[in-house]
Amino acid sequence: MRKRIVVTGLGVVSAVGNNLSEFWDSLINGRDGTKEITAFDPSLYRTKIAAEVSGLNPRSHFSKKELRRLSRCDQFGLIAFREAWRSARFDQDPIDKERVGVVLGAGSGGILSVEKYFRDFYQGMKRPSPSLLISYSLATTTDLIAIESGLKGPRTTTATVCSSSSASIGVAYEMIQMGLADVVISGGSDSLCEVSFSGFSSLKLVDPESCKPFDKRRQGLIIGEGAGILILEELEHALRRDAPIHSEIGGYAICADAYHLTSPEPNGEGVERVIRIALAHAGIFPEEVDTINAHGTATPLNDIAETRGIKRVFGERDKEIPISGIKSMVGHCLGSAGGIEAVATVRTLETGIIPPTIHYEVPDPLCDLNYTPNRSIQKDVQIAISNSFAFGGNNVCLVFRKFPPPSPLGGEGKGRC
Amino acid sequence: MLNLTMMNHRIVITGLGIVSSIGVGKEEFWKNCLQGVSAIKPIRGFDVRSYLSKLGVQLPEIDFKTFIKPANLRRMDRIGKIVVSSVRMALDDSGLTLSKEDPNRMGLCIGTGLGSSDTVDQFFRSLLKDGPTGAAPLLFQTAVPNAISSHCSIEYGIKGVNLTFSHKETSTEMAMAFACHQLKEGKADVILAGGGDELSEPLYHVYSMLGALSPGRGKGPEGMRPFDQDRNGIVLGEGSGILVLERLEHAEKRGARIYAEIAGVGMAGSTDGLLRFDQKGDSIAKAMSLAADEIQIVDYISAAANSTPVLDRAETLAIKKVFGERTREISVSSLKSMIGEFDGSGGIRACGMALSLYHGMVPPTIGTKHLDSECNLNVVLGQSEKREIRSALLNSCSNGGSNISLWFKEYSSPPLFSHEKIEITEIDDPRKSQAEEHCRIARPLEDDTHDHGSQAHPQIHGRCSCSHNWTSRRTGNLDSIGH
Repeated sequence: MRKRIVVTGLGVVSAVGNNLSEFWDSLINGRDGTKEITAFDPSLYRTKIAAEVSGLNPRSHFSKKELRRLSRCDQFGLIAFREAWRSARFDQDPIDKERVGVVLGAGSGGILSVEKYFRDFYQGMKRPSPSLLISYSLATTTDLIAIESGLKGPRTTTATVCSSSSASIGVAYEMIQMGLADVVISGGSDSLCEVSFSGFSSLKLVDPESCKPFDKRRQGLIIGEGAGILILEELEHALRRDAPIHSEIGGYAICADAYHLTSPEPNGEGVERVIRIALAHAGIFPEEVDTINAHGTATPLNDIAETRGIKRVFGERDKEIPISGIKSMVGHCLGSAGGIEAVATVRTLETGIIPPTIHYEVPDPLCDLNYTPNRSIQKDVQIAISNSFAFGGNNVCLVFRKFPPPSPLGGEGKGRC
Repeated sequence: MLNLTMMNHRIVITGLGIVSSIGVGKEEFWKNCLQGVSAIKPIRGFDVRSYLSKLGVQLPEIDFKTFIKPANLRRMDRIGKIVVSSVRMALDDSGLTLSKEDPNRMGLCIGTGLGSSDTVDQFFRSLLKDGPTGAAPLLFQTAVPNAISSHCSIEYGIKGVNLTFSHKETSTEMAMAFACHQLKEGKADVILAGGGDELSEPLYHVYSMLGALSPGRGKGPEGMRPFDQDRNGIVLGEGSGILVLERLEHAEKRGARIYAEIAGVGMAGSTDGLLRFDQKGDSIAKAMSLAADEIQIVDYISAAANSTPVLDRAETLAIKKVFGERTREISVSSLKSMIGEFDGSGGIRACGMALSLYHGMVPPTIGTKHLDSECNLNVVLGQSEKREIRSALLNSCSNGGSNISLWFKEYSSPPLFSHEKIEITEIDDPRKSQAEEHCRIARPLEDDTHDHGSQAHPQIHGRCSCSHNWTSRRTGNLDSIGH
């Protein structure tokens, strides 16, 4: 028998808010987090903006000594984790830490620090600080979270970049199914760095003005940064301690296009497959899906492929389903994109508010679905899915259910249905 | 306790692909492995004068055209070529005919610690030199860690489960563990699992600066000597190993040769510090006991011991803790003494493990002269040992504290019992054809018996060909479709 798994803790750091309530408030009000880059000097690039995290005072979260060793990515991850840990009430409830795992997704991870080291090194500095190298591994943030809270369950890091943190939620789900843990911290953290920024720029995938998913004028993504952490817990375990339950994870799928190193499969066949497998895993019909949190990077190719994939799954109903592209506000956070979007999806299920796709003005005939343009909407949302796609066609789809599910006898369901 | 054999599906190893410093291909690798050949040599390819360490374990020159079409070679960087070649060999070894397999039911789970570290470095240097115009798109697209598994999926048209793990020294073991679980859940029939890493100059620099490389500040000369009293750090290696993991029924149906079975996975984290291994061995012990359901039949441990003072001692403590009086009966060996230590070493070590179980041979630990009194295990030194291996553990431990143990079992013919088949109930439902269409694409396994409904509702047990119980929220009822 498969275990039921719920989300009991949420934490976010993003360009539109450094905690869950600020983040959600910005999303539903359509605030754009794009601003001038300060993490490195962007003056030589065509695009000088990114969805950078601001207003976060690291000193109020970490000691001076800690800050010397923590990369920007680690800081975001730890801050979001602490919020999620508190919101799941693990700061009060007793918990067997042997049974708590950590699975995060990584993108560029601590490259910003390593970049700094090698910049100094290649420019002839004799002994750049080796402490910048501590975060050389993509696993660093994962390990730091476990070490900080003494979590001794299973631990790993997924590394498919743009879909990493969505995949991490799938892996965390399986860790609990495998019986290796009762609680798993999942999601991801990532920070801006020149390597990834210049890389996406060189592939001509960055928009110089703003991120306009599904709009005809779209030119590409806006790089973002931040962290999105979800705490997954086995339902019985959560009920025993009367934990705050945000939603249930119905299922997930992870598969590949096997098409091209950077471009998505153009007909949406890969997108269709990942959504269908995820829905089947969750035991849900396409007709039951109420909203989609799109990958929506605003690159010309992604948005068409994703639209086609969605149409292939949902057929005639395709235009009824509100789709939201929150990358228009938080940017493409690479290793934390899926985590941040999963947090938004869970909040949508809780509140019944679907955040908008902003900067949407000129419809594209090739992207002709309901993208929730510019204003959030209210809807009874029982089932929501979140898409994440990555280079090489590494696709992930997550299915979330409202918890508790509606009672068949009418009225609000209480506790377990 | 997690025991994969107890659940629906047994997972077996049917193919091996190895690109190692002691041999490319299974035959050469195994011959040299049993003879205890060392590939530790002075570093070639870059200048190591400024480092205290001078040695490495590098791959021989490989003609990748033997394994990969020249047109496709162009888009791959070195680590891509290394892993894709090992996938080619694994597929060939397994006897699978790709054209006969459903590409949606085949998967890839790859582990790599640093992936394309050399490509990232080239990209960064060119960026530093020429500014934004120096950023080369062709380098960037292969620089992401998942490029390796993308190369493999594109090369062989593998469209099922596809995931890349990067968690230091446990990357590949995690990939294998996840692959096993996906197979067991029926999400695929065949998964190619494993991975590897390359030795590059920036990586050598990072390891050296973080003080991980032998000789460090320790006694004795530079070298790889697991469990030795004078061990003083690692010698960096490279390579890749891929295993073809398959559900037993699928392997039997096509009459595949079966090397061994993976029967259990254990994982545990230690929290001693970011660059520290499990200091006391408690987590390593926990991982081993979670993995092996029957510790009394463990005969061999392929150790994670990597010639660092702390890990080798901690692993010894852990083995003693788990096996008590039986400790001396268990042969212990570290293949890292031959192939060097690197994040993705688990792929090659797992291939070695499969061969050990298949041939009943334990390869030696080389380089070690004087066993440390704190590491007084039954370490197979100098020469390989012939013995019956009923089951064995493959340990891996990362600095930072992730510990994974995989339990391998000798493959012995069919299971003693076959699980009960549940009757298929036919129910008429207007949504049948829709469900069929849905299942045609998202086709889970035939004998998957997941229950997607909630327990409090009355439900009809019926299973469609994909055996899903469909829950309809719209009608408020829980119903199932059999078709």
